Amino acid sequence: MLRNFREIYLYRGLLLSLVQRELKARYRGSVLGFLWTFLNPTMHMMVYALLFSVYMRQQLPNYTYFMFVGLLPWIWFSSSVGMGASCISDRRDLMTKVWFPAQVLPATVVATNLCNFVLSLPLLVGMGLLYGQWPSWHVVFFPLVVLIQLGFTLALVYIISALNVTFRDLQHIINNLLTMWFFVTPILYPTTTIPEPFRNLMVLGNPMAIIVTSYQSIFYEKRIPDMAPLVLLLCMSLLLMWAASELFERRREEFAESI
Amino acid sequence: MHDNTDAIVLQDVVKRFRKSTIRHEYTTFKSELLRWLRGGRERNLGETRLIEALRGVSLSVPRGRTIGILGRNGSGKSTLLKLITGIYRPTSGSIQVNGRVSALLDLGAGFHPDFSGRENILINGIILGMSRAQVRERMDEIIAFSELGDFIDEPVRTYSSGMYARLAFAVATHVDPEILIVDEILAVGDEHFGKKSMSKMMEFKKQGKTIVLVTHDLSTVERWCDMAVWIDAGRIRGVGSPMEVAREYRQAVSLAEQRSVALGPAALSADGGALPMVEQGAVPLSGPAPSPQHRWGSFEVEISDVRLLGPEGAPVDTVDTEDALDICIDFQNHQNLGDVCFGLSLFNAEGLKVYGTNTLIDGMELPSPLPASGTVRLRLERLGLTAGHYLLDVCAHTQSGREYDYHRGLHGFRVGSPIADSGVVRPPHRWTLEPVAAQQQEPPAQRAIS
Repeated sequence: MLRNFREIYLYRGLLLSLVQRELKARYRGSVLGFLWTFLNPTMHMMVYALLFSVYMRQQLPNYTYFMFVGLLPWIWFSSSVGMGASCISDRRDLMTKVWFPAQVLPATVVATNLCNFVLSLPLLVGMGLLYGQWPSWHVVFFPLVVLIQLGFTLALVYIISALNVTFRDLQHIINNLLTMWFFVTPILYPTTTIPEPFRNLMVLGNPMAIIVTSYQSIFYEKRIPDMAPLVLLLCMSLLLMWAASELFERRREEFAESI
Repeated sequence: MHDNTDAIVLQDVVKRFRKSTIRHEYTTFKSELLRWLRGGRERNLGETRLIEALRGVSLSVPRGRTIGILGRNGSGKSTLLKLITGIYRPTSGSIQVNGRVSALLDLGAGFHPDFSGRENILINGIILGMSRAQVRERMDEIIAFSELGDFIDEPVRTYSSGMYARLAFAVATHVDPEILIVDEILAVGDEHFGKKSMSKMMEFKKQGKTIVLVTHDLSTVERWCDMAVWIDAGRIRGVGSPMEVAREYRQAVSLAEQRSVALGPAALSADGGALPMVEQGAVPLSGPAPSPQHRWGSFEVEISDVRLLGPEGAPVDTVDTEDALDICIDFQNHQNLGDVCFGLSLFNAEGLKVYGTNTLIDGMELPSPLPASGTVRLRLERLGLTAGHYLLDVCAHTQSGREYDYHRGLHGFRVGSPIADSGVVRPPHRWTLEPVAAQQQEPPAQRAIS
């Protein structure tokens, strides 16, 4: 695992350039260009806002803001995993024609989406101000949660991208799973909506639920997030990262041949 | 500091592929599940589903040499390059590479069509192993080399394929490698850029870089390389001077064509798809029973034999460049015909027609009717061909071209020469030195060639 990180550090120049390229490439040729970074999540949010604060009224103050707090990190996570699944299998040119450090590719996907997430944060703050919600001192915990989410996402993308080289079905399976995952994660609804007997299971059994509720604690409820689940998740992410590095390392030799 | 070590050392390298990956039948959950369910029985089959691309290759490339790798399609050349580059890992054996490798296996890896040439130079350069600072530093040089001018700031998708290749080649050659690996991409762009690429490679060579080159163009190998390796069916068939290896290769290829060996994908065939072994000496004059591909006609006039006689009048199969050669065509005129011409064509081992003539063109009057049997003799006063194998097409036909008897490639000879000149023809020539009037000093030999 350490070797993996060392290599990523070694190729940071490459990683940086690829992330830059991805960010630029995404909206290249579109009229609104970089504005889409903000427009995409906003439109996403507006659909859900229409659905849940107009049609199916939620009994929650500042519901749109609440939902947005969970939605942004979810977009980071789901687009990383969704795009990450095929990030190695799609780059045949890099894998078979030049010597290329494969572990940079999943990292690029996660980092690119992290950039998008960070760039859309002003939107979140602006949104809060609209509802009269000033960020409190609790935001000091924000980087910690981001770090844990980064670790978890990265590990997951490593595993999925490595497996997808041989099992192309995975990318389709993943996309469907993500939709389901979205609805079992308390983004559109507060955890209190979950029936009492399942609540702990649904939150603690779902890493994304832990992460999303932590963001909600910081920005919406303005309190210190529950540390125990976060620490648990941190340990789990580290373990997952170790497993992912092992798997990736072992599969790596086959990439060029299997693609 | 590595001066005494070889740049690349391969030891007994074997590379196997699983067949499914070569046929691009992707493994799916279903196929894996089925395989798993069938379990034990398939395990033995597992071995046969492997393809051996390389079957034990040992090779060392000394530092600063240019080495050419020859071999027909599917013989394992590209696999070898990918192993040296580190894209593949050997199934067994060891590979040691001393120095920074830059591989030009494909041009424009990581190019994004929507990005400008300039942006793509940056990303491609970094992918090829340069740092951002290095790429920026060489940016102007690369742009100048690519000769794209104002197009450099246009998106790459608007480029013509030649422009695309030029840009990619420019980046690739401005990486500063110690070992350069090139796969068949020297024929990039137009004539002018081709020459420029060549001179760039020359520059690399002069700087003492090790170059590994895969190509099908034998003359490139002969002109360029210090050393040639011939890979056939995953094994090294010959190593040595480019001239010699290229000649052996040519012989084997022409022999394979002559025997009409079916040349399927080498790696997939059971015997490995090796080219036939060349017997020492000449291509046999009286080969196996001629097949319809090699002899046809109406046979009213039959060519019963073709004999090659040396200067002393004795049958020969090897001739010296400077010697005379008599080609005797023994014929039988079964129906007392009068309208008969004899022709012959001379081909080198690559199938290039070196010379062709017939009695009609040369104004040789044959009696009408032709005798019932006899010999037509063509004397080449001085053969004047470079060393190698040559094949003859011999034919008896009417003046209008209807063929009585056509022998395709059934007869041949070898030209031996102690002189290591290259090309096809060795015109009579001499070198002189004229100290004054330097502008007219071009040797006659070169004039004769052009």
